[in-house]
Amino acid sequence: MKVAYYPGCATHGLSKDVDIATKKVAEVLGLELVEVPDWNCCGGGFLDEYDEVAHVALNLRNLSQVEKLGLNKMATPCSVCLHSHRLATYKYKEDKEIKKKVDKRLEKTSIKFDGKVSAEHIVWVLIRDVGIETIKKNVKRSLNGLKVGTYYGCQMLRPEQIMEFEQAYNPHSLADLVSATGATPVIFPTMTSCCGFPLMGSNPKAGLKLAYNVLNSAKEAGADIIVHPCSLCHLQLDSLQIKIQSEFNVKWTMPAIYVTQLLGLAFGFSPEELGIGKLAMEVLRVKGVI
Amino acid sequence: MSENLQEQEVIFKIKRFNPEKGFWWQEYKLKVDRFTQFTEALRRIKSEQDPTLSYRASCHMAVCGSCGMKINGEPRLACKTLVLDVVKKYNSNIVTIEPMDYFRPIKDLIVDWDEFYDRMFKVKPRLYPSKEVLEGKAEHRLKPEDQKELWKFAQCIWCGLCVSACPSVRIDPEFLGPAAHAKGYRFLADPRDTITEERMKILIDSSWRCTYCYQCFNVCPRDIEPVTAIKKTRSFTKLYKEKSEVAERGEKHTEAIFESILKTGKIAEAAVYLKTYGILQSLVDLIYMSKTGKLKYALVQERYVQNIDEIKKIMGGESK
Repeated sequence: MKVAYYPGCATHGLSKDVDIATKKVAEVLGLELVEVPDWNCCGGGFLDEYDEVAHVALNLRNLSQVEKLGLNKMATPCSVCLHSHRLATYKYKEDKEIKKKVDKRLEKTSIKFDGKVSAEHIVWVLIRDVGIETIKKNVKRSLNGLKVGTYYGCQMLRPEQIMEFEQAYNPHSLADLVSATGATPVIFPTMTSCCGFPLMGSNPKAGLKLAYNVLNSAKEAGADIIVHPCSLCHLQLDSLQIKIQSEFNVKWTMPAIYVTQLLGLAFGFSPEELGIGKLAMEVLRVKGVI
Repeated sequence: MSENLQEQEVIFKIKRFNPEKGFWWQEYKLKVDRFTQFTEALRRIKSEQDPTLSYRASCHMAVCGSCGMKINGEPRLACKTLVLDVVKKYNSNIVTIEPMDYFRPIKDLIVDWDEFYDRMFKVKPRLYPSKEVLEGKAEHRLKPEDQKELWKFAQCIWCGLCVSACPSVRIDPEFLGPAAHAKGYRFLADPRDTITEERMKILIDSSWRCTYCYQCFNVCPRDIEPVTAIKKTRSFTKLYKEKSEVAERGEKHTEAIFESILKTGKIAEAAVYLKTYGILQSLVDLIYMSKTGKLKYALVQERYVQNIDEIKKIMGGESK
């Protein structure tokens, strides 16, 4: 199966390990990821506050590139990129005023969007198109005994009427993927709360507090580690663990890995091949996974 | 007849509360049909089974905002939610009803609204017209395009569902919350209003304390999109001189993102970080990142967009 692949800036930057693991897992599953030619940033969740029309136009440019490829699905591993593209197409279809302004901006460009492409999360593609059974068939190393907190965050779920994949208050996509690896999914009270990343640009103290709330809640629920579906949650929940320790004066860590890194482990890849971070490695060693 | 009505028995698990006893769960069984709203189910439970059960409801038509509560964990208006829709959505004839989160419980499903009203009044939720209009020497006219901009945000019914779902409200006393921001923007953007400077003072710092989690967009029974009002409020920051540290940093961050995309078509993380936090804080964070072993990707050089002229064209369509 072939889908267009939109990595997004963070996935090709500080969260490069998300990209590495996603491509390895896709290859094992026979999922061909065709990178969107000459893709541009989706606006990172902030551009629409600065220029709503530019935000929509930029996202349509990516989708129009996919239409030129003749594909009808653009999968992304980043929840913010997913949200940005889906919100842009929703506005373009629903708001005549915005459509008029966007069309004006798109004049004399190569961009032509017919609405034939939908932005999808890589998690949705894995579940809906590849299928849990196919994933299970490729498990070479059962992760039995590992308790994995399933952290969904915000942007993959909300708004429900724009995301249209699963219930925002009762999601189970990540739990289904975790179960497929043999690990035990752990649900916890803040699994659909915000990780605080969008606050880091303005009010970092509050952003860190939200991240701490997520990690602490997963810890209290008995998770060894958490999985998440977003390149920006990755920066917030994985890269800032030590900063969170220091800010909230705690000794523990709750390593966060991207969902395809967990699948990659189950498919037999080494943590080094998947770019898994130091803190997660320690937990995986203690739990006998590696 | 009953086949058309899809009558079935539903078990309502209601989270009850009183100050003496604290919280406890109580179950009620009730036969409902496809037209039964949650407010009607609660009315029947109270009148037919348990007169001690307390809840608020008034208009039964999603106008008064009295009956906000959590239904199967979702913040919803009880009157706007049909029992069998929830049964169908969750594929279970057991439904839970709880008081809204965040608000102080008073009795059963009734919560204390005082703090919510304080938030709403902080944004001065009325028009302050000009002296000439008040003296009858002039009249206010609103252009259709201006009315269109305000209309959505004027529809708030003060139900509190967005505040109950908001994570930023819980952790940051300086954040006014989504409902107050929707109401605040409705007047901030009203060309007839005369206290714009004062409104910016009230709203701008707070707007940079929202975490864009889209809970408010998701739960609003009137499709108001408070987060959109907050984003639009942030765009007023450049007009406001007395910026707080939070607003100033936020503005720098957004500008850095815009400039980076304009220049390269992508977000150059290092440049955005430096512009937002300055060199000292960036160095401190680099040390933290190196301790988690996440620094190895910091020097990944991403290709710029080749057709950068196209990016510039679609981003420069309006003067900033």
